[in-house]
Amino acid sequence: MFSNIITIARRSIQQLVRDRRTIALIIVVPLVIASLIGVSLPNKAVLNQTLPALLAVLILFFGFLLSGISFLRERSQGTRERLMASPVSRGDIIFGYLLGFLLFAILQTLVLFFYTVYIIKIDFMGDLWQIIIFQILIGILAVCLGIFLSAFARNEFQMVQFIPLIIIPQVFICGVLFPVNTQPEWLQWIAKFLPLTYGVDGIKAMMLEGKGLLDIGKEIAVLASYAVVLMALAGISLRRGHVA
Amino acid sequence: MNITAIEIKNLSFNYGKLKVIDDVSLEIAKGISFGLLGSNGAGKTTLIRLMVGLLKPKTGSVFCLGKPPSPATARNIGYMPQLPSLYSELTVYQNIDFFARIYGLRAHNTRNQRVDEVIKLVDLWPKKNVSVSQLSGGMKQRVSLACAIVHNPPLLFLDEPTVGLDPELRVHFWEYFGNLTAAGHTLIVSSHTMDDAAHCQKLIFMREGKVIALGTPDELRGAVGKPNTTLEDAFLYFIRHGEVKSHVQ
Ligand SMILES: Nc1ncnc2c1ncn2[C@@H]1O[C@H](COP(=O)(O)OP(=O)(O)OP(=O)(O)O)[C@@H](O)[C@H]1O
Ligand SMILES: [Mg+2]
Repeated sequence: MFSNIITIARRSIQQLVRDRRTIALIIVVPLVIASLIGVSLPNKAVLNQTLPALLAVLILFFGFLLSGISFLRERSQGTRERLMASPVSRGDIIFGYLLGFLLFAILQTLVLFFYTVYIIKIDFMGDLWQIIIFQILIGILAVCLGIFLSAFARNEFQMVQFIPLIIIPQVFICGVLFPVNTQPEWLQWIAKFLPLTYGVDGIKAMMLEGKGLLDIGKEIAVLASYAVVLMALAGISLRRGHVA
Repeated sequence: MNITAIEIKNLSFNYGKLKVIDDVSLEIAKGISFGLLGSNGAGKTTLIRLMVGLLKPKTGSVFCLGKPPSPATARNIGYMPQLPSLYSELTVYQNIDFFARIYGLRAHNTRNQRVDEVIKLVDLWPKKNVSVSQLSGGMKQRVSLACAIVHNPPLLFLDEPTVGLDPELRVHFWEYFGNLTAAGHTLIVSSHTMDDAAHCQKLIFMREGKVIALGTPDELRGAVGKPNTTLEDAFLYFIRHGEVKSHVQ
């Protein structure tokens, strides 16, 4: 059981590592975007206010994209059929992917975070490592979201369409740019059901108010529940006897 | 010991409204190579997917090594899908090694040895560390076979294994398949070519999801009732015969 998870995680890492250009993009693209955000914002105060939430968005976005496309390719290149005919369970497959892509999500988180802190030099409060742990939680959620949604996409084109559908509304509704409570009431109500709201709340509480992980238990619980539910739903999409 | 590898009873399957497998009953003995012959769309791949448990029967039942297909029976099964299903970024070695691990070859030394062995068997030793994306179509087909046999399964499903192979390799493959059945393994092979059919101890002709004939190559040739009948003739005979029957109904 556990060795299957490791085997699948190891393979998904091997796959990305052998693709040099993708690896380079994984590291460079978030930095380019962070830099652009850094120079585009009018002043340091706005930057300090906005960047924490944008960090949450970037982690969600890249984790989602990377794991979603990889998982989808498993179907399009036919290896999923092979895996499903093998003794591995769907839990093995999902946790294997989660573990493999988590490493990339952590890598991206660290690169992005240290870049914004030491190169862009934003001011923040709170404990560095606690913030990183919270971001990794967002990374886990992103991987689960990617795996889950790739079950509904038949090909890469459809998967790419999910990005604007899933990510962009959350950016506007979940308090990344403007606080949630400045929106119409019905939108605030919708925001309550979107995971990014809790990611943004959590990271703002930490970086802007200096709170620790223990103070944002609710946000952590909601994000973790989302991750668990998405994984369970992804598992349903991988039932044996339904591969075609 | 049970002597049947596969037992299928009144099996039907449909994709939406399209009936793809139509009331098939079949027993396949252990230790033989069994051919599934039929034109494009006859239902060969679907039947194999039902036998390995990738699809669930709508009605009827499938028993694979005495049990309904499950992750537990999967360990004793090798499956080579119709299209080479490989991780294109990974090397030949990495692909085969991955499936070896998945099928429980845990010990490092024995696994390495076995992976090397099957790479040599499919004649790809010089390509061992080359990415699959850089191989020719036939080479991919060989890697795909290697992934299916690496754990030395007693029951092997091969969906059109000889497509895209050059004649020399085709002979080489069938020699190897012969060794496997001689050692007691069961092979279930789908194909279009009567050349493959002739290598099978037993085979069925399929048409529109039905089994229209079952027998040894000799029996099937004999059933036509003309001297010097080739398997090709027999296949066409049964296809037409089947058509006549359905017109009568
Ligand atoms: N995923 C699917 N969804 C809907 N219909 C399908 C699907 N897969 C196969 N079919 C249909 O089922 C029928 C049987 O297909 P199958 O792949 O089993 O044929 P086959 O005998 O393997 O053909 P070939 O020799 O071309 O590989 C065909 O009519 C095909 O169109
Ligand atoms: Mg087929």
